[in-house]
Order: sequence, then structure tokens, then C-alpha cells
Amino acid sequence: MRISRRGFLVVGASLPLAGFAGKVMGQTSSGSSGKGGNLTIGLSSYPPNLQPWVNAGSAAGTMAALIHRGLLSFSADGQIQGELAESWERDGDTGWVFHLRQAKFQNGSPVRAEDIKWNLEQVADAKSTAYMRSQFQGVERIETPDERTVRLIMKQPTVAVPDWLATYFMPMVAPGTLSRDSFAVGAGPFKLKKLERGVSIDLEAFEGFYKPGMPKFETVRVVAYPDENLRVAALQSGDVDLIDYVPWAAMSQIEQDKNLRLDTTLGPYMYLTFNGRTGPFADARVRRAVALAIKRDDIVQSAFFGRGAPLEGLPLQEGTPYYDAARAHGWRRDLDAAKALLAEAGLSGGFSCTLLSTAQYGMHKNTAEVVQQNLADLNIVVNLHMPDWATRVALGNRGQYEFAVNGTAMESTDPDNLSSVLDDTAAPSFIRSTGITVPGLSALLHQGRAEFDTKKRRAIYAKVEDLVLQQAPFVGLAWRSQGYAMKANLQGFTNIPGPLSFYSATTLENASLA
Amino acid sequence: MRRLPWLPIVAVGLIVLAALAAPVIGLADPVAMDVAHRLAGPSAAHPLGQDEYGRDVLSRLIWGARTSLGIAFAAAAIACVIGTILGLVGGYVRGVAELLAVRSMDVVLCFPPLLLALLVVTLLGPGASTLIPVLAIVYLPSFTRVAYAGVLSVRGHEYVTAMKVLGAGRLRIMTRTILPNIAGPVLVQFSLAAASAVVLESGLSFLGLGVVPPAPSWGLMIGAARGTMVQAPLLLLWPCLALTVTILAMNALCDGLRDVLDPHPAARRASWFSRFRRVAAPVVPEPAEPGTVLDVRGLTVAIGDPGDGKLAVRDVSFHVREGETLAIVGESGSGKSLMSLSAIGMVPAGVEVSGGTATMEGKDLLALPAAELRKLLGDRMAMIFQDPGSSLNPVHRVGSQIAEAIRAHRPVSRRAATTQAVTLLRNVGIPDPERRAKAFPHELSGGMRQRVMIAMAIANGPRLLVADEPTTALDVTIQAQVLDLLASLKRDSGLGLLFITHSLPVVAEIADRVAVMYAGEILEEGPTAEIFADPRHPYTAALLRSAPKDDGPAPEGIPGTVPVPGDLPAGCVFAPRCDKSIDTCVKTRPPLFDIGPGRASRCIRWASL
Amino acid sequence: MEWFVKRLGISVLLVWLVATIVFLAIYLVPGDPAELLLSQGGAAPDPAIVEDLRDQLGLNRPVLEQYLHSMAGLLRGDLGYSMMDGAPIAGEIATRLPRTLELIGAAALISVLVGVSTGTLAAVGAGGAFDRIASALAGLGLAVPVFVVGTVAILVFAQSLRLVPAGGFVPFSQDPAQHLILLLMPAGTIAVGLSATMFRVTRSAVLEVTLRDYVRTARAKGLSFRRILTRHILRNALIPVVTVLALNLGTLLGGTVLVEYVFNWPGLSGLLVDAVNGRDYPAVVGVVLVISILFVTLNFVVDVLYAVLDPRVRHG
Repeated sequence: MRISRRGFLVVGASLPLAGFAGKVMGQTSSGSSGKGGNLTIGLSSYPPNLQPWVNAGSAAGTMAALIHRGLLSFSADGQIQGELAESWERDGDTGWVFHLRQAKFQNGSPVRAEDIKWNLEQVADAKSTAYMRSQFQGVERIETPDERTVRLIMKQPTVAVPDWLATYFMPMVAPGTLSRDSFAVGAGPFKLKKLERGVSIDLEAFEGFYKPGMPKFETVRVVAYPDENLRVAALQSGDVDLIDYVPWAAMSQIEQDKNLRLDTTLGPYMYLTFNGRTGPFADARVRRAVALAIKRDDIVQSAFFGRGAPLEGLPLQEGTPYYDAARAHGWRRDLDAAKALLAEAGLSGGFSCTLLSTAQYGMHKNTAEVVQQNLADLNIVVNLHMPDWATRVALGNRGQYEFAVNGTAMESTDPDNLSSVLDDTAAPSFIRSTGITVPGLSALLHQGRAEFDTKKRRAIYAKVEDLVLQQAPFVGLAWRSQGYAMKANLQGFTNIPGPLSFYSATTLENASLA
Repeated sequence: MRRLPWLPIVAVGLIVLAALAAPVIGLADPVAMDVAHRLAGPSAAHPLGQDEYGRDVLSRLIWGARTSLGIAFAAAAIACVIGTILGLVGGYVRGVAELLAVRSMDVVLCFPPLLLALLVVTLLGPGASTLIPVLAIVYLPSFTRVAYAGVLSVRGHEYVTAMKVLGAGRLRIMTRTILPNIAGPVLVQFSLAAASAVVLESGLSFLGLGVVPPAPSWGLMIGAARGTMVQAPLLLLWPCLALTVTILAMNALCDGLRDVLDPHPAARRASWFSRFRRVAAPVVPEPAEPGTVLDVRGLTVAIGDPGDGKLAVRDVSFHVREGETLAIVGESGSGKSLMSLSAIGMVPAGVEVSGGTATMEGKDLLALPAAELRKLLGDRMAMIFQDPGSSLNPVHRVGSQIAEAIRAHRPVSRRAATTQAVTLLRNVGIPDPERRAKAFPHELSGGMRQRVMIAMAIANGPRLLVADEPTTALDVTIQAQVLDLLASLKRDSGLGLLFITHSLPVVAEIADRVAVMYAGEILEEGPTAEIFADPRHPYTAALLRSAPKDDGPAPEGIPGTVPVPGDLPAGCVFAPRCDKSIDTCVKTRPPLFDIGPGRASRCIRWASL
Repeated sequence: MEWFVKRLGISVLLVWLVATIVFLAIYLVPGDPAELLLSQGGAAPDPAIVEDLRDQLGLNRPVLEQYLHSMAGLLRGDLGYSMMDGAPIAGEIATRLPRTLELIGAAALISVLVGVSTGTLAAVGAGGAFDRIASALAGLGLAVPVFVVGTVAILVFAQSLRLVPAGGFVPFSQDPAQHLILLLMPAGTIAVGLSATMFRVTRSAVLEVTLRDYVRTARAKGLSFRRILTRHILRNALIPVVTVLALNLGTLLGGTVLVEYVFNWPGLSGLLVDAVNGRDYPAVVGVVLVISILFVTLNFVVDVLYAVLDPRVRHG
């Protein structure tokens, strides 16, 4: 109906344009057939590079999920599932055994145990820029007893190995196909056909993909739409079939459109980091006072249009074994308590400080504005420093700030991922507070990493959460909704819940347009 | 000088006032959030509604004016001061200073404004304190160029030279003499830059490179409202509207300022284009004597609206016969050029003919539709102007300009017209006419150019030639040659020549009859020899006394100045300067007395002179 | 000839100055390409990995050495490789530049057609109804920022009327019709402001020229209104119009950031912004260098054009 109306309008407007109308319709109607057909995805950015193993952001991750497969992956319901590895099991305290399935790389060569070993060695190589380099430098040795078996021996017991291998940072690529500026040959459902750098990437189905009947699309076209308003407009006008990073402002509008479908999950979150080397934030009481003074609902409302939830504790997902309802609300707003803490710290008259954020991303900017307003209730005068993102990262890494707004998501649901924002023994980074050492915290995190027993782990992370609530080296602000929007007839695509949302493109192997 | 542009001044003033008064007019706190009422529509407490944090939009709009306009004016002011100094120094001192001051601006221009902002803002951090220097740098080159160009055009002027001769220092000349003369364009540039800076500030704030939130600025408001455009379109409307109104007012102010400072202000409003649309009822004129080429009766010309009573030419009558030269003579400002142009339908802009007829070949030129008049102009009657340098189109070759005159009235090919043009050039005494036809006006000397003008005028064999001070801009030898040429043309073709000049020796040389004009009236008329020998009007006598002679005493000037239209004396227009003036002269304006065959005078005492 | 050599010398000096300023500025700006590249998605990279990448990218060498290396490369015409993904900068600019030039060209074409014609009409009827309305609209065109025009255009033409796609880019070789449709909206958006500028310049230039003596001469020759307007008035009014157009085109080189962003048009401005945001030093230097070379060339073309338009310049 929509197509014919548009065609009519164009033809009606001017006859010579009739040829154009056909083109416009051609664009829209592409991929309407169920078998084969084309899927057009509107991504929030063009992947800065397409190298395997490095972390180049979620757009690059989406491309990796389309082109590559690792040993494992996350299923639509968030469980770890086998990919190139058909099955896997623990082997003693430190060992993991993976049984490979019969699979082929996109250049036709079979995926063998040595290939997997080569990949893992590349990641751990001393000169590697792989995101998981340090994790896989914890591998003691890799054994390949036969063509289809890989045995991984870690130096220490490590719970998170399957989580690591399921991320898109660990694709398995055909050895010797690596080049500095292009994609390596993978074993995923789609292979690279053509790319228009900065604009779009065209993929086509890989006939030899190891899952029978998949992928269902003949071709996939990925187009970058950095402007969120335009991304939504492109979906609404039918230019694309699926978009990521749905802007919160547009969510209700999309929900009301019966031709479209919105799929959201609370995955990423916003939080505050502090510089504890000097200044008022060296005092844990001041940090906790800040944590208790924030109106998190206001952040959810004004930065995320209500599409989020207050984060009043550690970012542990509700419904996972490590979630505790009482602790999860440990920082519920309590202005009196906050004032008392400040008085205790000798700062009842308030003070003046600077909050680092960035004007480049609306959610960072908006969150900072609300924090500024809320802290005025404690007589804290907050000046905002909002440089561009690159400067903000540099300042954060060098600890040149008083306190800062940041946003991130855990890499997986495993609580060990908390280390990245909490571990005060790790190298300085903008994602962690600077110069704040919480005694015992790092040790607990290390303990949790090596503990396989869920019950004991829960106890460890409960202690972690208590410590953090008390010392506030990290102050949670808000969960934010991570949304995909698509045409109502796109089937088989799922927004994987929680922090795994970013791996959702894996499910496109089974997607089709009805 | 035009009136000041009051409306835009008031509008800009109000906006600035609102911005200045923001803290004291009882507005809501522009940064106080009320998230519960985010995106609320207009209400009594919030007349323009609330934004995405529930902040008061009206308050933010007015505080935003403070920020946006403050930044824009500050940046424009800094750029104006530095740019003008650079331009002044570059233009006046020249040499290395010129290279440094003016060429260095090219470096700035190589950076697109947004890149410049991107670099500077990332270097210095965002905020108003960064934005002002960034915008100042962006607008610096335009000020430098305007000032530089202004200096170049005035530095050669007599008064600058005079100052130099008087021994004034460079600094003094630059500040006291040159600066006031380029102030106009610089001021206009200032208002343009300020207006444009408001738009650029909004763009930078939109990109997050501008004003730091939560400080309100229009750009931030527009940027934020764009995200909620569908839910709350009004949020986008208000700042856009404010920006638009401000820019419109500032543009109007710029235009107004330019009009005030411009040398030809009146013409900006009314252009001669309207003449092409004029449709008037044809009047059947009284038949003229045979042999008369042009018969003008009762011509009255008003400056501006005829109702205002500013009559520059009043009740002028004269005629030109075949083979005769009538000279119109008078001081500058006497209205002789205006009168002659009006008489043949070439009324300048801002001027209206309010009465009289001008008959040529049985048609009243003043009532003729534009298309009919056009057929006569350049064909039956032609004109030569004072300054051949500016009267020829600089971008076309002279041959083709002559050919154009031919082709406007004769159905001949371009080639034939060009050949004819060469012949005409030869006839007016231009050597090597084939080559000269291909020249541009600036490649010819002044005398040469006037010959080209004459060739163009006689191209179609006109019956009447109006020559408006054709020799004034030429040196004496060339003058004589051109006068000889005109005289021989008149002799050979029998055309009537209406010759306008302020030079009595020229009149004596070329004219058969002469009409003396003063303050828009003819004061005396008659055969040249008689008038020269026996003037019957004190003004004529005074003119004759003031003319330079080859021998004898130095000429006496006429004391006083010509009165301007709209401020004429009640009696005789010449009475205030007349040494023969009596009471009656001051009280009543005299008519034109017929004082003999072909002679007339407007002096009541003509008989006693 | 001597003029040409002198001119060329100044141009080369200018371009070198610009390249140096940009090089130094971008190095002074906080932020580090290696760190940024590895911090994507809010991750904390291992500092050892960052150091390794900095080594690979040559960022750990002294700034002077990097500068000399970079300038030596530029002298050989080698713009270097992107720090993001190792793609050659020259190739990237070669694909992006034509798109920006096309966008600017289309916008200029629309603006000249609209602005010069309406400006002339307004000047002819100066003070009349058309003049007043057109002048007010031009004021509006100058006042509304491009990003607002673009946003509203998308809302109306793409989202509500669904006449055109919301934005994006298709290579001409792939689909010419679609390419032109996609060009129309961003070009039209730029043209809103530029047409208003052209309108104002044309209007005032025509009014100005109308007062000149040679226009009076043309009237005295009995030329038709159309001929006076085209051959005598417009021909001379063109000179300021060309000047202002050239000045605006120069600003648009690398100044189409907002429009490219709003319409997802992958041009040079977008590359520049991405490069600055990602601290991709060679890309920033390369793009600015190309822009300044274009700017210098544009100035040269304008001077030649002056000579074509105005014979006095040709000989003077």
C-alpha cells in the first residue's frame, strides 16, 4: 500500500520522474521475498576497521557477527552455545576441551584444530592488538590431539573462558588471510562482497555455512547512518529493514507504527567515576553522598525518555544468580543521609567541582546535566567540562578530572566483567576511577574469577557489592535501553537480552523477511 | 542622506534590551529542571512550554539571546577592530605589512569555519570563551578585506594627499582621514558578521562544539529540540523563530545602514526600470513650426514625489531647429542636465516629469509609451555624455557597442553592422578604425572614447543630438577637435544640436543660440552673439564676467551658491546673489519677458541693464 | 609569466603553512589515536597494547621527526595511511572529494539559478511586492540554520510524503537516477542559504549597475529592456556575484559538515570530522591539505574568471 502511494505521488507530481519512481520502489521492495532476498541494515556508525580480534566498537562487532564465527556464541535467550565447537567441557581445574564440528572457512578450506590454535596464538602474541590479548596470555598451552579437538590449558582456573570465546572479539579466521586493511576470511554465514568505505558494506550468503538452511538471506547490505534521526527516518521510509541504537526519543513513535517492531533490552548503563588522588572525592563519604543524592529517575526520563531504569547498585542483571534486590537499591536517593555524610566529611557547606563528560554524545551530556542539577541540593556547585569524546578519553586515562560521567556495558553476564570498572589494581583507564583503592576489592575479584562453584561465587560478589556500596569507587546511575527496530515482517532476529544485546547480529543467520 | 532605518533599529534594540534585561525581568530560572513536566506545552507559568528537562522555554529563549547575541557581538567586534587595523595598515603602509596583514588572511580562509572551530575547541575546550575567538578568527578576513579595499580606494584621493603634503604622520592620516571614510562599509560588514555569527554559533552548539550546557543558547535549544521534533515540534519552532527574527532585523539594519551611508541613496528605492512599464495617455501636442526638431513647452520636473513640491526644473520652454545649435549654459546644479535629459524622455531615477510637452516629429516624448520612445532614442535623437570613460560599457568592445546601436533600429546582420561601425569610427576621425573597433573602452584615450560616443550617437543619422558637457572631461586640444567634429557633423547632416555646458568659451565657439539656466529656470535666451555682446540678465552678465579670458583681468566669481530645489527664494531665484536686486525682485518671481526678436529675459529690470 | 610564478610561490607557501599549522594543532590537541581505537565501545585497553599500537603507528617517535616524515611524504604526493584501518588517505580522499564537489556544485547551480533570477527580478521591481516578499524570504533563508532546514526537509519529504529516501548515498555508476534523487535533498538544503546570499548580492549589484553611466548610454541607444538588462546590467553585475559565489564555495569546501551529517552524505567534511574525532592525524592533515589546495586553485580560477568577465582586469 505504501509503495503504491509513493509511486502515485511521484508520478502524479511530474511525469518525467516516473522512471525515478520505479527506482525508489525498487529500493523499498527489495528483500520482500521470504527465500533469499536482501536485508538492509542501518547501523549507527561505519565500522572504523574490520580487523578480527580487535575491539573496534559495536558496528565492527555486528560485522564480525555476520561474517565470522568463533568457537562459541550467545544464543537468542542469552545462553552460551556451540558454533565451530560442537561441544565443550572442563578438563580439570584449568583445562577446557573443545570438539570441533565439520565446518569450512569461506575460502573453502576446512576448519581444523591447528587453525584454532593459530588463532588463539595470534590473539596472545606479544605484538597483538587483540582485545583479549591479556586474557589469552593466561593460556599455558594449547594442544591439538586430533584434527577436531582443541585442548586449552590455562595458567589459573578461569571461569570466564567460554564467555570470552563467545564474544565477537574471538572470531576464528582462516590462517594466512589476514591483512592490515581488510577483513580476514571467516567461517560465518555471510561473506564480504563489496565495501564502499564510510558508506556501506555488501555481503552475500556463504553457501558452505555449516548450519543447514542458513543463512536465509541471499544478500545483506549494511549502511551507516550516524545521525540517529536519519536512521529512524530511513526505517520509517522503508529504506532499511533493521536499525540498531534506536534513539530513545523515537521509541514510542516506532512502537505505535504497526509496520514496525521495536525490540529493547536494558543492557548498558551510565555511571560516575572519581578521581581520588586529591580533592573532596578522595573521601569515600563524599562519593557516597553523591551516590545518594542523584535522582536517577530524572536521568532515565530526560536522558533516555523513560527508556531505562535507575541503577542504584552494581550493574548486575535482575534474574541472574548474582542479583540481590536489597543491595541493588543500596544507593536509593536519600538526601538527608547524603547531607549527613557530607557534614561528617566536613563539607556541609558544599564545595565546587568540575564534572567531566562529553558533548559529543547526547546521553553523556544529558546525564551530566541532571547530575549537576541534583548535586545543587547538596550545595555542590558543579561545573561541566564537555570536550569532544577523544579529549574526554585522554583526560580520563590520565586522571585529569575530578569526577566523570561514563557509559558502558558488560561484555557478558558473568560477574567477572565487573572487574573492568572496579579492579583498582588494573592499569589506569577512563572507564575506572583514578587513585581510589578499596582494600580487599581486587582480591575478591580475583577470587571470583577462579571460583567455579556458583554458591561460593555469589558470596564473593555479595561482598564485592557491599564494599562498593560503602566505598563508592563507582556510582551507578541508570540502565539504558538498547533497542533494535525493524520492519514488522522481519522474522528470526532477536535482541539478545541484557548486556548481550550487542551480539544480537549473530541471530541474523536465521532471519528472513516474511 | 536618507532617514535612519528606524524599524530595524527598534527591533534589534528590543532584542538586545531583552537579552540585557534577562536577569531583572522576573523570568523563571533557565536551568531549573522539572523533569516531571518535561515537554509540557504552554501554560500560564510557562508561556512557551517546557523543554526536555522541564525547563522554562521562554526564560531559556531570552537568556539564550543573551548568550548567542553576546557571543556574536563580541566576536564581530573583535574581528572588526583587528581586521580593520590589519586592513588599514596593509592598505596604507603596503610592502611587507601588506603581505603579512592581507595575505595571512588566506591562511585563515583555507580553514573551513567548522574545522577551525573543531580544532580550536578541541584545543581549548568548549564554551563561550573559546567560541568568541573562534568566530572572531572566522570573520577576521572579511573585515580585513573590506578595510583594505576601502583604503586602496581612498588613499589616492586629494584630501589624503593634502594631509600628506601638510606633513601629517601615517598614524594620523590613517585614523583621522582614512578611517572615517571607510567606516560605512566596515559598519555594514559588522552587522553582517554579527548576524552570521549567530547562525554559526547555533551550528557549533548543535554539534556540541559551542556553548556548554546547561547555559541556554539558541543553537543548543535547536540541537536538543531536533531530537524531540516529533513529540514537541514547538520546541524547535521557538528558537528558530527567535533566530530568524533576529537575523531578519539585523539584515534589515545592514541594508538600512548601507542606504544611509551610500552616495546614491535615493536611487536604491526607485529605479528607472519602472519607466519601462509606464503607460500614459498620448496627448496630441500643438503643431510646431516647420524645421523645428524639438519643441519643449512648460517642462516641469520634480525630484521624488511631485506632490512634495521639490521642483528641480520649472516651466522651461525652448526649441531646437534643424542645423542649429542651442547651448544650455549655467553653473553646476542649475538643472540643465536634468532638464535636457527629461526633455527627451531620459528621465533619471527618482525624478518625475510633472508637466509640459516635448514635441518631436509630432509626438510628445513625455507622454510616449516606453516602446515608442525607445524607437526614437538612438535613432531620431541621440546623446553624448560628459564622461566617455564611464559612459561606455567596460566589458564590451567599442565596435560591438556601436553595432548594437545600429542593430537596435535597423534590420541588418551583425557583420554588416560591424562594418558600418568601422566606417563610422573612420568618419569621426579615429585612425586605424578596424583595430580600434576591437578595443575595449579602457584601451582608448579620453578623446578617442568621446569620438566613439559620437560615432555611436550618429550611427543612425539622428535629427537631434543632445550633447551633455561632451568636452568637460577632455583636455583643451582634444576639446577643440571634438567641437570641430560636432560642428562639421551639424553642417553636413543638418541635425539639431542641443549642447549643454557650463563653459562660455565653448558656447561662443559652437552655439547659434544660447539659453542661460539657473536654479531650474531659463533666465535669458537669445542668439549667441547678441547675448555675449549685450546680456539682459544680471546672471548672464555675472557669468560672462566670471569666464576666463585670454587677456585682461582675472575673472570674478559669483558670490553665493545656487539654491536647491525645495528651498527656493520667494521672488527671483537669482535675487539673493544679484547686485542689481530691488525689493520687487525679492517678493515676486518674474515671468520671462519677450525683449526682442528671439530674445527673452526673466529680469524685471532687463530694460535698464 | 612572472605573475604566475609569484602567484604559484605564494600558493605553495600558503599550503605549506596550512599543513604545518594543522599538523601542530592536531598534535597539541589532547587525545590519542591508538588509545581511542582500542577504547571503542567503552572498553579499557591494556596499556601495553596501546603502546604497541603507538609503536606500529610511529606515534612514539619525536614530533619533529614525525613532522619531517609527514612533510617528506606530502612532497612526494604521499598522504600516508589512516591510523584507523590502514587505508591509504589519498584513496579515501579520492573517493570522498568528488562527492563533496558534486554536492557543492549542485548546490551552487541551484543557488545561481534561483538566486540570480529572483535577485534580478527583485531589483527590476525594487520596492514592489515581489521585491519585498523575496527579500523577506531571503532573510529567512539566511537565518534558518542548515541543520534545521535539512531536518524539516527529511520530516516532510521523506517521512511524511515519502517522496524521496531519507538520505544516504548510491554511487552514480551503480544507479544514476537514485544517485541524483539522493543528491537533491542535501544540495537543496545548502542551496536555501546560498540562494538567499546570491539573491541579495544579485539584487544589490543590479541596482548598483543600473545607476552607471553606460546603462544610461544603453537607454539612449534605444536598446530594448531585455537587452539592457542582459547585455549591459547583468553582464557587469556578474562580477560581484561571482566574487561572492567563489567566497561561499571556498567556505563550503570542508564546510558541509552539518548537511553531510544530517543527510548521511559521505563527503569530505564527514571524513574530516571523523578524522578529528578519531585523532587520525594523517587523515586530518591530508584532508586539510587538499582543501587548501582546492581553495588556492579556486582563487586562481576566480582571478581567471575576473579576467574573462572584466577586460580591464585582463589588461591591467
